[in-house]
Amino acid sequence: MTSSVINDADDFVREALEGLVATHGDLLALHDEPLFVTRRNPSTGAVALVSGGGSGHEPLHTGFVGDGMLDAAVPGAVFSSPTSLQVKAAVESVDTGRGVVLVVKNYTGDVLNFSIAAEVLADRHDVEVVVVDDDLATESAADGGPGRRGTAATVVVEKVCGAAARRGDDLAAVAGLGRRVVERSASLGVAYRACTNPLTGALSFDLAPGEIEVGVGIHGERGRSTQQAGTADEVVGDLVGRLVEHLDLGTGARVLLLVNGLGATHPLELSVAARAARAVLRDRGVVVERSLVGPYVTALDMHGLSVTLTRLDDELLELWDAPVSTAAVTW
Amino acid sequence: MGRARLDRGGDLVSAAALDVTSTRAWLLRFSEHVVADADELTELDRLVGDGDFGWNLSAAVRRARPGLESPAETPGELWSRLSDAFLAAGGTSGPLFGLWFGRLGASEATGWTGHDLADGLSRATEAVTRLGGASVGDCTMVDALVPATQAAADAADADWSDAVAAAAAAARTGAESTAPLVASRGRASYVGERARDVVDPGALAVAWFLEAATDTVR
Repeated sequence: MTSSVINDADDFVREALEGLVATHGDLLALHDEPLFVTRRNPSTGAVALVSGGGSGHEPLHTGFVGDGMLDAAVPGAVFSSPTSLQVKAAVESVDTGRGVVLVVKNYTGDVLNFSIAAEVLADRHDVEVVVVDDDLATESAADGGPGRRGTAATVVVEKVCGAAARRGDDLAAVAGLGRRVVERSASLGVAYRACTNPLTGALSFDLAPGEIEVGVGIHGERGRSTQQAGTADEVVGDLVGRLVEHLDLGTGARVLLLVNGLGATHPLELSVAARAARAVLRDRGVVVERSLVGPYVTALDMHGLSVTLTRLDDELLELWDAPVSTAAVTW
Repeated sequence: MGRARLDRGGDLVSAAALDVTSTRAWLLRFSEHVVADADELTELDRLVGDGDFGWNLSAAVRRARPGLESPAETPGELWSRLSDAFLAAGGTSGPLFGLWFGRLGASEATGWTGHDLADGLSRATEAVTRLGGASVGDCTMVDALVPATQAAADAADADWSDAVAAAAAAARTGAESTAPLVASRGRASYVGERARDVVDPGALAVAWFLEAATDTVR
Protein backbone atom coordinates (compact mmCIF):
# COMPACT_ATOMS: atom_id res chain seq x y z
CA MET A 1 0.00 0.00 0.00
CA THR A 2 1.40 3.31 -1.01
CA SER A 3 -0.06 6.79 -1.04
CA SER A 4 2.21 8.15 -3.76
CA VAL A 5 3.16 7.41 -7.36
CA ILE A 6 5.73 4.78 -6.48
CA ASN A 7 6.55 1.20 -7.39
CA ASP A 8 9.10 -0.12 -4.91
CA ALA A 9 10.71 2.05 -2.25
CA ASP A 10 14.17 0.69 -3.10
CA ASP A 11 13.77 1.74 -6.74
CA PHE A 12 12.06 5.10 -6.13
CA VAL A 13 15.01 7.42 -6.78
CA ARG A 14 16.53 5.35 -9.58
CA GLU A 15 13.24 5.07 -11.48
CA ALA A 16 12.64 8.81 -11.12
CA LEU A 17 16.11 9.51 -12.52
CA GLU A 18 15.52 7.14 -15.41
CA GLY A 19 12.31 8.98 -16.21
CA LEU A 20 13.95 12.40 -15.94
CA VAL A 21 16.92 11.47 -18.11
CA ALA A 22 14.69 9.84 -20.71
CA THR A 23 12.52 12.96 -20.81
CA HIS A 24 15.54 15.24 -21.23
CA GLY A 25 17.67 12.96 -23.36
CA ASP A 26 19.22 15.94 -25.15
CA LEU A 27 20.44 17.40 -21.85
CA LEU A 28 21.14 14.59 -19.40
CA ALA A 29 22.97 11.27 -19.05
CA LEU A 30 22.53 8.76 -16.23
CA HIS A 31 25.53 6.97 -14.73
CA ASP A 32 24.96 3.77 -12.83
CA GLU A 33 27.00 2.08 -10.06
CA PRO A 34 27.63 4.50 -8.54
CA LEU A 35 24.60 6.61 -9.39
CA PHE A 36 24.90 10.19 -10.68
CA VAL A 37 23.61 12.42 -13.50
CA THR A 38 25.77 14.43 -15.91
CA ARG A 39 25.28 16.67 -18.91
CA ARG A 40 24.73 14.75 -22.14
CA ASN A 41 27.30 16.98 -23.85
CA PRO A 42 30.04 17.70 -21.29
CA SER A 43 31.70 21.09 -21.32
CA THR A 44 35.30 21.22 -22.41
CA GLY A 45 38.04 23.22 -20.80
CA ALA A 46 35.88 24.77 -18.09
CA VAL A 47 35.89 24.40 -14.32
CA ALA A 48 33.29 21.73 -13.52
CA LEU A 49 30.46 22.18 -11.05
CA VAL A 50 29.04 19.25 -9.05
CA SER A 51 26.30 19.32 -6.46
CA GLY A 52 24.02 16.79 -4.83
CA GLY A 53 22.35 15.67 -1.66
CA GLY A 54 19.35 13.69 -0.56
CA SER A 55 16.51 13.22 -3.02
CA GLY A 56 13.06 14.70 -2.40
CA HIS A 57 14.10 18.30 -3.23
CA GLU A 58 13.54 18.10 -7.00
CA PRO A 59 14.11 19.83 -9.28
CA LEU A 60 17.20 20.46 -7.12
CA HIS A 61 19.81 19.18 -8.10
CA THR A 62 19.22 17.06 -11.20
CA GLY A 63 16.96 19.68 -12.79
CA PHE A 64 19.86 22.14 -12.77
CA VAL A 65 22.28 19.97 -14.73
CA GLY A 66 22.96 21.49 -18.13
CA ASP A 67 24.71 24.23 -20.04
CA GLY A 68 25.52 27.17 -17.78
CA MET A 69 24.81 25.43 -14.50
CA LEU A 70 25.77 22.00 -13.05
CA ASP A 71 28.00 19.46 -14.80
CA ALA A 72 26.82 16.67 -12.50
CA ALA A 73 24.28 16.03 -9.75
CA VAL A 74 24.73 13.27 -7.19
CA PRO A 75 21.48 12.08 -5.60
CA GLY A 76 21.18 10.14 -2.37
CA ALA A 77 18.11 8.29 -1.15
CA VAL A 78 15.17 10.49 -0.08
CA PHE A 79 16.48 12.99 2.49
CA SER A 80 19.79 11.05 2.81
CA SER A 81 23.26 12.06 1.70
CA PRO A 82 24.77 10.38 -1.35
CA THR A 83 27.86 8.31 -0.59
CA SER A 84 31.41 9.62 -0.93
CA LEU A 85 31.95 7.07 -3.69
CA GLN A 86 29.14 8.60 -5.80
CA VAL A 87 30.63 12.07 -5.36
CA LYS A 88 34.12 10.79 -6.15
CA ALA A 89 32.93 9.08 -9.34
CA ALA A 90 31.06 12.20 -10.46
CA VAL A 91 34.14 14.40 -9.95
CA GLU A 92 36.32 11.95 -11.87
CA SER A 93 33.75 11.92 -14.67
CA VAL A 94 33.40 15.69 -15.19
CA ASP A 95 36.81 17.19 -14.33
CA THR A 96 38.26 18.66 -17.53
CA GLY A 97 41.57 19.33 -15.81
CA ARG A 98 40.66 22.79 -14.57
CA GLY A 99 39.26 21.56 -11.26
CA VAL A 100 35.85 20.97 -9.72
CA VAL A 101 33.68 23.04 -7.37
CA LEU A 102 31.42 21.02 -5.08
CA VAL A 103 28.29 22.91 -3.98
CA VAL A 104 27.08 21.38 -0.71
CA LYS A 105 24.06 22.25 1.40
CA ASN A 106 25.06 22.47 5.05
CA TYR A 107 23.92 19.16 6.53
CA THR A 108 26.27 16.94 8.51
CA GLY A 109 26.02 13.91 6.21
CA ASP A 110 26.35 15.89 2.98
CA VAL A 111 29.29 17.93 4.22
CA LEU A 112 31.08 14.81 5.47
CA ASN A 113 30.59 12.78 2.31
CA PHE A 114 31.44 15.60 -0.12
CA SER A 115 34.48 16.64 1.97
CA ILE A 116 35.73 13.05 2.16
CA ALA A 117 35.42 12.70 -1.61
CA ALA A 118 37.36 15.96 -2.10
CA GLU A 119 40.07 14.77 0.27
CA VAL A 120 40.47 11.33 -1.30
CA LEU A 121 40.78 12.97 -4.72
CA ALA A 122 43.19 15.67 -3.55
CA ASP A 123 46.29 14.17 -5.17
CA ARG A 124 44.72 13.91 -8.64
CA HIS A 125 42.01 16.60 -8.82
CA ASP A 126 41.79 20.20 -7.68
CA VAL A 127 38.56 20.40 -5.71
CA GLU A 128 36.95 23.31 -3.84
CA VAL A 129 33.95 22.86 -1.55
CA VAL A 130 31.38 25.67 -1.25
CA VAL A 131 29.01 25.13 1.67
CA VAL A 132 25.60 26.83 1.46
CA ASP A 133 24.04 27.83 4.80
CA ASP A 134 21.30 30.37 4.12
CA ASP A 135 18.48 29.28 6.44
CA LEU A 136 17.97 31.94 9.13
CA ALA A 137 15.67 29.65 11.13
CA THR A 138 18.76 27.76 12.28
CA GLU A 139 20.74 30.94 12.95
CA SER A 140 20.97 30.47 16.71
CA ALA A 141 22.50 27.01 16.58
CA ALA A 142 25.10 26.77 19.34
CA ASP A 143 28.82 27.22 18.64
CA GLY A 144 30.36 23.96 17.59
CA GLY A 145 26.99 22.78 16.28
CA PRO A 146 26.22 22.11 12.64
CA GLY A 147 25.36 25.76 11.91
CA ARG A 148 22.67 27.10 9.59
CA ARG A 149 21.03 24.73 7.12
CA GLY A 150 21.42 25.07 3.40
CA THR A 151 18.19 25.60 1.44
CA ALA A 152 17.00 27.52 -1.62
CA ALA A 153 20.00 29.85 -1.98
CA THR A 154 21.68 26.74 -3.41
CA VAL A 155 19.92 27.52 -6.70
CA VAL A 156 21.51 30.96 -6.84
CA VAL A 157 24.95 29.55 -5.99
CA GLU A 158 24.64 26.92 -8.71
CA LYS A 159 23.48 29.46 -11.31
CA VAL A 160 26.19 32.02 -10.54
CA CYS A 161 29.00 29.45 -10.31
CA GLY A 162 27.79 27.73 -13.49
CA ALA A 163 27.84 31.00 -15.40
CA ALA A 164 31.28 31.86 -14.05
CA ALA A 165 32.65 28.48 -15.11
CA ARG A 166 31.04 28.87 -18.52
CA ARG A 167 32.74 32.23 -19.15
CA GLY A 168 36.10 30.63 -18.32
CA ASP A 169 36.79 31.67 -14.71
CA ASP A 170 39.37 29.58 -12.88
CA LEU A 171 38.66 27.30 -9.93
CA ALA A 172 39.38 29.84 -7.20
CA ALA A 173 37.24 32.49 -8.92
CA VAL A 174 34.26 30.16 -9.38
CA ALA A 175 34.42 29.00 -5.76
CA GLY A 176 34.89 32.60 -4.59
CA LEU A 177 31.76 33.73 -6.41
CA GLY A 178 29.83 30.85 -4.84
CA ARG A 179 30.95 31.96 -1.39
CA ARG A 180 30.06 35.55 -2.22
CA VAL A 181 26.50 34.46 -3.01
CA VAL A 182 26.32 32.50 0.25
CA GLU A 183 27.47 35.51 2.28
CA ARG A 184 24.86 37.71 0.62
CA SER A 185 21.90 35.32 0.84
CA ALA A 186 19.32 34.47 3.48
CA SER A 187 16.18 32.31 3.46
CA LEU A 188 13.18 31.51 5.64
CA GLY A 189 10.44 28.95 5.12
CA VAL A 190 6.89 28.36 6.31
CA ALA A 191 4.65 25.29 6.08
CA TYR A 192 0.88 25.08 5.94
CA ARG A 193 1.03 21.27 5.92
CA ALA A 194 3.97 18.90 6.56
CA CYS A 195 5.26 16.53 3.88
CA THR A 196 4.03 12.97 3.70
CA ASN A 197 6.06 9.80 3.74
CA PRO A 198 5.69 8.50 0.16
CA LEU A 199 5.21 4.94 1.41
CA THR A 200 2.88 5.37 4.36
CA GLY A 201 1.26 8.72 3.69
CA ALA A 202 2.05 9.72 7.28
CA LEU A 203 2.64 13.44 7.86
CA SER A 204 6.08 14.40 9.17
CA PHE A 205 4.38 16.64 11.78
CA ASP A 206 0.86 17.72 12.63
CA LEU A 207 -0.70 21.17 12.51
CA ALA A 208 -4.15 22.08 13.74
CA PRO A 209 -6.47 23.81 11.25
CA GLY A 210 -5.41 27.43 10.89
CA GLU A 211 -1.90 26.84 12.18
CA ILE A 212 1.36 27.32 10.27
CA GLU A 213 4.88 26.16 11.06
CA VAL A 214 7.42 28.98 10.71
CA GLY A 215 11.11 28.32 10.14
CA VAL A 216 10.80 24.94 8.45
CA GLY A 217 13.68 23.34 6.58
CA ILE A 218 13.43 21.05 3.59
CA HIS A 219 13.40 17.63 5.27
CA GLY A 220 9.96 17.66 6.85
CA GLU A 221 11.30 18.69 10.23
CA ARG A 222 9.38 21.04 12.49
CA GLY A 223 10.26 24.74 12.38
CA ARG A 224 11.06 27.28 15.05
CA SER A 225 7.50 28.04 16.08
CA THR A 226 3.88 27.13 15.43
CA GLN A 227 1.68 30.15 14.84
CA GLN A 228 -1.83 31.05 13.83
CA ALA A 229 -1.87 31.61 10.07
CA GLY A 230 -2.51 35.21 9.11
CA THR A 231 -3.15 36.50 5.62
CA ALA A 232 -0.59 35.80 2.89
CA ASP A 233 0.60 39.40 3.18
CA GLU A 234 1.15 38.97 6.92
CA VAL A 235 2.91 35.59 6.66
CA VAL A 236 5.18 36.54 3.75
CA GLY A 237 5.69 40.04 5.09
CA ASP A 238 7.02 38.62 8.34
CA LEU A 239 9.51 36.38 6.51
CA VAL A 240 10.71 39.10 4.17
CA GLY A 241 11.02 41.63 6.98
CA ARG A 242 13.38 39.33 8.86
CA LEU A 243 15.46 38.66 5.75
CA VAL A 244 15.78 42.38 5.05
CA GLU A 245 16.90 42.99 8.61
CA HIS A 246 19.42 40.16 8.58
CA LEU A 247 20.96 41.25 5.26
CA ASP A 248 20.84 44.86 6.42
CA LEU A 249 19.16 45.96 3.18
CA GLY A 250 18.62 49.70 3.10
CA THR A 251 17.07 52.00 0.54
CA GLY A 252 18.53 51.37 -2.89
CA ALA A 253 19.83 47.87 -2.09
CA ARG A 254 19.49 45.55 -5.07
CA VAL A 255 18.28 41.99 -4.62
CA LEU A 256 17.37 38.77 -6.33
CA LEU A 257 14.04 37.50 -4.95
CA LEU A 258 13.39 33.75 -4.96
CA VAL A 259 9.89 32.68 -3.92
CA ASN A 260 10.17 28.93 -3.68
CA GLY A 261 7.37 26.39 -3.44
CA LEU A 262 8.08 23.51 -1.06
CA GLY A 263 6.28 20.90 -3.17
CA ALA A 264 2.49 21.19 -2.96
CA THR A 265 2.00 24.93 -3.16
CA HIS A 266 -0.12 26.06 -6.10
CA PRO A 267 1.30 28.54 -8.63
CA LEU A 268 -1.54 30.92 -7.72
CA GLU A 269 -0.40 30.88 -4.11
CA LEU A 270 3.24 31.46 -5.07
CA SER A 271 2.21 34.42 -7.19
CA VAL A 272 0.31 35.88 -4.24
CA ALA A 273 3.44 35.36 -2.13
CA ALA A 274 5.62 37.04 -4.77
CA ARG A 275 3.27 40.02 -4.80
CA ALA A 276 3.42 40.25 -1.01
CA ALA A 277 7.21 40.00 -0.94
CA ARG A 278 7.58 42.72 -3.57
CA ALA A 279 5.25 45.02 -1.63
CA VAL A 280 7.36 44.75 1.52
CA LEU A 281 10.60 45.28 -0.39
CA ARG A 282 9.16 48.27 -2.24
CA ASP A 283 8.07 49.85 1.04
CA ARG A 284 11.63 49.55 2.30
CA GLY A 285 13.17 50.96 -0.85
CA VAL A 286 14.79 47.65 -1.81
CA VAL A 287 15.06 47.12 -5.57
CA VAL A 288 14.05 43.71 -6.88
CA GLU A 289 16.39 43.44 -9.88
CA ARG A 290 15.42 39.86 -10.73
CA SER A 291 13.09 37.24 -9.34
CA LEU A 292 12.38 33.55 -9.69
CA VAL A 293 9.06 32.10 -8.54
CA GLY A 294 8.19 28.41 -8.51
CA PRO A 295 8.96 25.05 -6.93
CA TYR A 296 12.75 24.79 -7.18
CA VAL A 297 13.87 23.35 -3.83
CA THR A 298 11.09 21.16 -2.49
CA ALA A 299 10.52 19.04 0.60
CA LEU A 300 8.58 16.22 -1.10
CA ASP A 301 4.94 17.37 -1.04
CA MET A 302 5.16 19.94 1.75
CA HIS A 303 2.56 22.69 1.40
CA GLY A 304 4.48 25.85 2.06
CA LEU A 305 7.06 28.19 0.67
CA SER A 306 10.38 29.77 1.35
CA VAL A 307 11.67 33.21 0.47
CA THR A 308 15.33 33.80 -0.38
CA LEU A 309 16.96 37.18 -0.89
CA THR A 310 20.41 37.60 -2.41
CA ARG A 311 22.00 41.02 -2.36
CA LEU A 312 23.19 41.61 -5.91
CA ASP A 313 26.10 43.50 -7.37
CA ASP A 314 26.81 44.09 -11.07
CA GLU A 315 28.86 40.93 -11.47
CA LEU A 316 26.35 38.65 -9.73
CA LEU A 317 23.55 40.17 -11.81
CA GLU A 318 25.48 39.57 -15.02
CA LEU A 319 26.13 35.94 -14.04
CA TRP A 320 22.51 35.41 -13.05
CA ASP A 321 21.41 36.75 -16.45
CA ALA A 322 23.88 34.61 -18.43
CA PRO A 323 22.29 31.95 -20.65
CA VAL A 324 21.33 28.67 -19.02
CA SER A 325 19.72 25.53 -20.40
CA THR A 326 18.57 22.90 -17.91
CA ALA A 327 15.45 20.84 -17.26
CA ALA A 328 14.26 23.30 -14.60
CA VAL A 329 15.43 26.71 -15.81
CA THR A 330 16.24 27.98 -19.27
CA TRP A 331 16.93 31.51 -20.47
CA MET B 1 66.73 -6.70 7.53
CA GLY B 2 65.88 -8.46 4.30
CA ARG B 3 63.94 -11.16 6.11
CA ALA B 4 61.21 -13.03 4.30
CA ARG B 5 58.59 -15.19 5.92
CA LEU B 6 55.70 -17.34 4.86
CA ASP B 7 52.19 -16.30 5.68
CA ARG B 8 49.60 -18.93 6.52
CA GLY B 9 48.38 -19.07 2.94
CA GLY B 10 51.87 -19.99 1.74
CA ASP B 11 52.60 -16.72 -0.10
CA LEU B 12 56.03 -15.31 0.48
CA VAL B 13 55.55 -12.16 2.52
CA SER B 14 58.40 -9.75 2.85
CA ALA B 15 58.99 -8.32 6.28
CA ALA B 16 61.31 -5.63 4.92
CA ALA B 17 59.13 -4.05 2.24
CA LEU B 18 55.36 -3.91 2.03
CA ASP B 19 54.74 -4.96 -1.56
CA VAL B 20 51.60 -5.94 -3.46
CA THR B 21 51.68 -9.52 -2.18
CA SER B 22 52.02 -8.61 1.47
CA THR B 23 49.47 -5.78 1.17
CA ARG B 24 46.99 -8.18 -0.40
CA ALA B 25 47.59 -10.74 2.36
CA TRP B 26 47.11 -8.03 5.02
CA LEU B 27 43.89 -6.60 3.60
CA LEU B 28 42.38 -10.03 2.96
CA ARG B 29 43.26 -11.15 6.50
CA PHE B 30 41.47 -8.07 7.84
CA SER B 31 38.45 -8.79 5.64
CA GLU B 32 38.22 -12.34 6.91
CA HIS B 33 38.41 -11.18 10.52
CA VAL B 34 35.64 -8.62 10.02
CA VAL B 35 33.34 -11.07 8.25
CA ALA B 36 33.98 -13.78 10.86
CA ASP B 37 33.52 -11.54 13.91
CA ALA B 38 31.12 -8.85 12.66
CA ASP B 39 28.71 -9.84 15.43
CA GLU B 40 31.22 -8.74 18.07
CA LEU B 41 31.41 -5.24 16.54
CA THR B 42 27.65 -5.10 16.15
CA GLU B 43 27.13 -6.04 19.77
CA LEU B 44 29.53 -3.33 20.96
CA ASP B 45 27.81 -0.82 18.70
CA ARG B 46 24.42 -1.86 20.06
CA LEU B 47 25.66 -0.89 23.52
CA VAL B 48 27.14 2.47 22.53
CA GLY B 49 25.49 3.35 19.19
CA ASP B 50 22.82 2.19 16.79
CA GLY B 51 24.02 -1.35 16.22
CA ASP B 52 24.73 -1.36 12.49
CA PHE B 53 28.50 -0.96 12.59
CA GLY B 54 29.51 -4.61 12.27
CA TRP B 55 27.07 -5.13 9.43
CA ASN B 56 28.27 -2.00 7.60
CA LEU B 57 31.92 -3.00 7.95
CA SER B 58 31.21 -6.53 6.89
CA ALA B 59 29.31 -5.34 3.81
CA ALA B 60 32.21 -3.03 2.91
CA VAL B 61 34.90 -5.71 3.07
CA ARG B 62 32.70 -8.08 1.06
CA ARG B 63 32.39 -5.36 -1.59
CA ALA B 64 36.17 -4.93 -1.52
CA ARG B 65 37.06 -8.60 -1.87
CA PRO B 66 36.99 -9.02 -5.68
CA GLY B 67 39.18 -5.92 -6.05
CA LEU B 68 41.63 -7.15 -3.43
CA GLU B 69 41.98 -10.46 -5.28
CA SER B 70 42.54 -8.82 -8.68
CA PRO B 71 46.01 -8.04 -10.10
CA ALA B 72 47.66 -4.78 -9.01
CA GLU B 73 50.93 -3.00 -9.87
CA THR B 74 51.35 -1.18 -6.59
CA PRO B 75 50.04 -1.52 -3.03
CA GLY B 76 48.34 1.84 -3.60
CA GLU B 77 45.93 0.27 -6.09
CA LEU B 78 44.79 -2.26 -3.50
CA TRP B 79 44.35 0.46 -0.85
CA SER B 80 42.29 2.46 -3.32
CA ARG B 81 39.95 -0.48 -3.96
CA LEU B 82 39.51 -1.06 -0.23
CA SER B 83 38.87 2.67 0.19
CA ASP B 84 36.19 2.75 -2.51
CA ALA B 85 34.33 -0.14 -0.91
CA PHE B 86 34.13 1.82 2.34
CA LEU B 87 33.29 5.11 0.59
CA ALA B 88 30.22 3.34 -0.80
CA ALA B 89 28.88 2.86 2.74
CA GLY B 90 26.23 5.03 4.33
CA GLY B 91 26.48 6.45 7.84
CA THR B 92 29.59 8.06 9.25
CA SER B 93 32.08 5.34 10.21
CA GLY B 94 32.21 3.65 6.80
CA PRO B 95 33.11 6.81 4.85
CA LEU B 96 35.69 7.80 7.49
CA PHE B 97 37.34 4.39 7.20
CA GLY B 98 37.24 4.87 3.41
CA LEU B 99 38.98 8.21 3.82
CA TRP B 100 41.57 6.68 6.14
CA PHE B 101 42.37 3.78 3.79
CA GLY B 102 42.39 6.11 0.79
CA ARG B 103 44.89 8.54 2.30
CA LEU B 104 46.96 5.75 3.86
CA GLY B 105 47.42 4.14 0.47
CA ALA B 106 48.04 7.33 -1.53
CA SER B 107 51.55 6.36 -2.66
CA GLU B 108 53.07 5.23 -5.95
CA ALA B 109 55.75 3.12 -4.24
CA THR B 110 55.89 -0.57 -5.14
CA GLY B 111 57.57 -1.61 -1.89
CA TRP B 112 56.84 0.38 1.24
CA THR B 113 59.42 0.92 3.95
CA GLY B 114 58.62 1.61 7.60
CA HIS B 115 58.80 5.30 6.73
CA ASP B 116 56.31 4.94 3.88
CA LEU B 117 53.88 3.24 6.23
CA ALA B 118 54.40 5.81 8.98
CA ASP B 119 53.90 8.65 6.49
CA GLY B 120 50.73 7.02 5.17
CA LEU B 121 49.30 6.59 8.65
CA SER B 122 50.14 10.19 9.49
CA ARG B 123 48.46 11.49 6.32
CA ALA B 124 45.39 9.32 6.87
CA THR B 125 44.90 10.04 10.55
CA GLU B 126 45.32 13.77 10.03
CA ALA B 127 42.55 13.71 7.41
CA VAL B 128 40.18 11.69 9.58
CA THR B 129 40.63 13.90 12.64
CA ARG B 130 40.22 17.07 10.58
CA LEU B 131 37.09 16.02 8.67
CA GLY B 132 35.55 13.81 11.36
CA GLY B 133 36.07 16.41 14.07
CA ALA B 134 36.81 13.93 16.87
CA SER B 135 39.72 14.14 19.31
CA VAL B 136 41.38 11.52 21.49
CA GLY B 137 39.11 10.81 24.43
CA ASP B 138 35.84 11.13 22.49
CA CYS B 139 35.53 7.33 22.35
CA THR B 140 35.83 6.98 18.58
CA MET B 141 38.19 5.34 16.09
CA VAL B 142 40.49 8.32 16.66
CA ASP B 143 41.38 6.92 20.11
CA ALA B 144 43.14 4.05 18.31
CA LEU B 145 44.32 5.96 15.23
CA VAL B 146 46.33 8.66 16.99
CA PRO B 147 48.47 6.45 19.27
CA ALA B 148 48.95 3.91 16.45
CA THR B 149 50.15 6.64 14.11
CA GLN B 150 52.57 7.95 16.72
CA ALA B 151 53.91 4.46 17.45
CA ALA B 152 54.51 3.82 13.74
CA ALA B 153 56.36 7.12 13.42
CA ASP B 154 58.56 6.20 16.39
CA ALA B 155 59.36 2.81 14.80
CA ALA B 156 59.66 4.04 11.20
CA ASP B 157 63.41 3.29 10.96
CA ALA B 158 62.63 -0.42 11.37
CA ASP B 159 61.07 -2.76 8.78
CA TRP B 160 57.45 -2.03 7.88
CA SER B 161 56.48 -5.15 9.81
CA ASP B 162 58.05 -3.85 13.01
CA ALA B 163 56.49 -0.44 12.49
CA VAL B 164 53.05 -1.96 11.97
CA ALA B 165 53.48 -4.22 14.99
CA ALA B 166 54.20 -1.18 17.14
CA ALA B 167 51.17 0.57 15.65
CA ALA B 168 48.97 -2.46 16.27
CA ALA B 169 49.97 -2.67 19.93
CA ALA B 170 49.30 1.05 20.40
CA ALA B 171 45.95 0.77 18.61
CA ARG B 172 44.91 -2.11 20.89
CA THR B 173 45.83 -0.08 23.99
CA GLY B 174 44.05 2.95 22.56
CA ALA B 175 40.93 0.95 21.78
CA GLU B 176 40.83 -0.52 25.26
CA SER B 177 41.13 2.97 26.70
CA THR B 178 37.67 3.71 25.30
CA ALA B 179 36.02 1.24 27.68
CA PRO B 180 34.08 3.44 30.11
CA LEU B 181 35.51 1.63 33.16
CA VAL B 182 38.97 2.82 32.16
CA ALA B 183 37.93 6.22 30.83
CA SER B 184 36.20 7.15 34.07
CA ARG B 185 38.65 5.46 36.38
CA GLY B 186 38.18 7.95 39.19
CA ARG B 187 34.48 7.27 39.32
CA ALA B 188 34.66 3.57 38.61
CA SER B 189 32.11 2.76 41.26
CA TYR B 190 29.43 4.60 39.29
CA VAL B 191 29.97 2.57 36.14
CA GLY B 192 27.49 -0.24 35.83
CA GLU B 193 28.54 -3.79 35.06
CA ARG B 194 26.83 -3.63 31.70
CA ALA B 195 29.07 -0.83 30.48
CA ARG B 196 32.24 -2.51 31.70
CA ASP B 197 34.65 -3.30 28.89
CA VAL B 198 32.51 -1.70 26.21
CA VAL B 199 35.24 -0.78 23.80
CA ASP B 200 34.36 1.62 20.98
CA PRO B 201 33.75 -0.63 17.96
CA GLY B 202 35.44 1.79 15.55
CA ALA B 203 38.59 1.89 17.65
CA LEU B 204 38.51 -1.89 17.98
CA ALA B 205 38.23 -2.25 14.20
CA VAL B 206 41.36 -0.12 13.82
CA ALA B 207 43.20 -2.49 16.16
CA TRP B 208 41.93 -5.50 14.20
CA PHE B 209 43.10 -3.88 11.02
CA LEU B 210 46.69 -3.31 12.16
CA GLU B 211 46.83 -6.68 13.92
CA ALA B 212 45.90 -8.33 10.61
CA ALA B 213 49.21 -7.05 9.21
CA THR B 214 51.23 -8.55 12.02
CA ASP B 215 49.36 -11.85 11.54
CA THR B 216 50.51 -12.10 7.94
CA VAL B 217 54.21 -11.87 8.80
CA ARG B 218 54.05 -13.98 11.93
